[in-house]
Amino acid sequence: MNRTYKIGIFDDEGKFISAIRTLKEQKFEIFDVFTPYPVHEVFHLLKRKSRLPTAAYFFGLFGIVATLGFLYFTSVVNWPLIYGGKPFNSFPSFIVVTIVVTILTVTLASLALFSARSKLFPGRDNTIFDLRATDNKFVIVVDTNPTDMAAAMRVGDIMNEYGASEVIDKEFENVQA
Amino acid sequence: MYNRKIRGPLIEGNKSLGQITQEIASPMEVKQGLWWYIAFFISSLAAVFGCYAIYITVYKGIGTWGVNNSVAWGWEIVNFVWWIGIGHAGTAFSIFLLILRQKWRTSINRAAEAMTVFAVMCAALFPALHMGRVWDAFYIFPYPNTRGPLWVNFNSPLFWDFSAITAYLLISASFWYLGMLPDLGTIRDKTASKIKKAVYGLFSMGWTGSSRQWIRFESLSFILGGIAAVLVVSVHSIVSTDFAVGIEPGWHTTIFPPFFVVGAIFSGFAMVMTLMVLIRKIYKLTDYVTDNHMDAIARILVFISLIMGTAYVTELFISWYSGNQYDMFTMFRNRVTGDYTIQFWGMIVCNALIPQLFWFRKIRRNWIGLLSISLIINIGMWLERYNIVITSLSKDYLPSNWVSYSPTIIDIGVFVGTIGLFGTGVLLFMRYIPMMAISELKSVANIGTKKED
Repeated sequence: MNRTYKIGIFDDEGKFISAIRTLKEQKFEIFDVFTPYPVHEVFHLLKRKSRLPTAAYFFGLFGIVATLGFLYFTSVVNWPLIYGGKPFNSFPSFIVVTIVVTILTVTLASLALFSARSKLFPGRDNTIFDLRATDNKFVIVVDTNPTDMAAAMRVGDIMNEYGASEVIDKEFENVQA
Repeated sequence: MYNRKIRGPLIEGNKSLGQITQEIASPMEVKQGLWWYIAFFISSLAAVFGCYAIYITVYKGIGTWGVNNSVAWGWEIVNFVWWIGIGHAGTAFSIFLLILRQKWRTSINRAAEAMTVFAVMCAALFPALHMGRVWDAFYIFPYPNTRGPLWVNFNSPLFWDFSAITAYLLISASFWYLGMLPDLGTIRDKTASKIKKAVYGLFSMGWTGSSRQWIRFESLSFILGGIAAVLVVSVHSIVSTDFAVGIEPGWHTTIFPPFFVVGAIFSGFAMVMTLMVLIRKIYKLTDYVTDNHMDAIARILVFISLIMGTAYVTELFISWYSGNQYDMFTMFRNRVTGDYTIQFWGMIVCNALIPQLFWFRKIRRNWIGLLSISLIINIGMWLERYNIVITSLSKDYLPSNWVSYSPTIIDIGVFVGTIGLFGTGVLLFMRYIPMMAISELKSVANIGTKKED
């Protein structure tokens, strides 16, 4: 089913942020905003949070335990060999490999999680609301309700009031974002 | 802001956002100059020479190299450590400065990371070839095998080295690619050509710049930056343990890990400087990489040069102070004087003395000065590794083992080949990938300019 989105395009970061603030205050649901670079105030206003750091911490924990476990298993249980008169479980010399493999685990696992959560992978075709959002425009996208045209009008008015350079209505089928 | 008063604007010329996109992306849109084709031809020629040398090495064995029973590690290990050192700076540059929130990194980090990836690729080639039977190289992976399973020796620095370099290559490549996503999206949305749109669309993986993507992107950058900072320090420390754990005089010292890490950052920053001087000159990007940027790198280099000088003196002092006659011999009779004087004093002059010229503001702001000193530093760092590897091995405890070492044409061929590979990689990078992080530049466009107030 096609849906209509109200798209406000801003040239200026300050005006863009005030428009978001007002839309939020008036309880309009913002679908998402698109910017050429990360704007931190947007994260606060839209209450965007990322739990990636927590996940990365647990990936790291897993990496440490798994690597040390593997080293213990191979060097003590599976095929013990004496190197230079040292004990089978020569813990200090396992530390180096553990650090490196843990870092690798965290990196690859966080990347995979990032790719899955943000839906970014080769061949992915996320909906681009306005091509200029990756260049020099700040874009606010509001999902309008076809039964409530007055609200959609009001959204457009707010965008214009705060200095949007353009306000467009666009229809999209199967939005992926 | 504190930085502003000292350094001035990060990007000069009051650029608008659209202008930034346009100017950074333009080298990818227009035809490259004649110089590009000439440079590409020379680099590929060097790479072909390298392929020939590698073919001979694999076909006939490493007997075609200059190595012998005493000097079992020759140019290949020298080159390996040199390339890995260069590869360090890209990540050191972007990651340490990211964590320290030094915004001036934004103009340089992309090129520095690209350089890292190519340099580590060149470096990884050498240990693999040095195994002799490169087709058996997979034996070093600890996988359940039919030989027992006989596992690799996890206590060996050589295995640590393998794991560190593999991890480093994967991580620096992912970090580089991650940073590139928004810019690939920008190119995809801007280009008119259908083929380009498809290709950049595939590689940008559906980047839209939504707030959800940006917040995750930022937090992932910090996660990768934070842990890769540990990796940067550990990788070169591990490379140094290849030597420090051995009992050769001149290798068996505890100064090696910090000494190697600092040396690596030294040579890498010098390579970053070489590249940036050329890029800003050729592509006229002086508004983005300003004289202040180059000045900052030069200041870092002069500081590291002092550390290097201190380390060289410390090494000599400790060998005298320890009273170990073998160490004394290696340091004073085989490096400071003796067969390898040229390499030793070359290293001192190139690494500890010449970079002191960066104390002068005029030289820090003169592109010829920057370019030549950065090249000299890299020559000096190569000589340093030559000193460490060759002098210790050629004359060790038993005089009956003493031999001299000289490389063969095959040794030289492999080295020239990696330089060609590096050059080819960098040239392709200049042509097909935005040379600076466009999205990051936009976020600092206003810092230090009037627009901000």
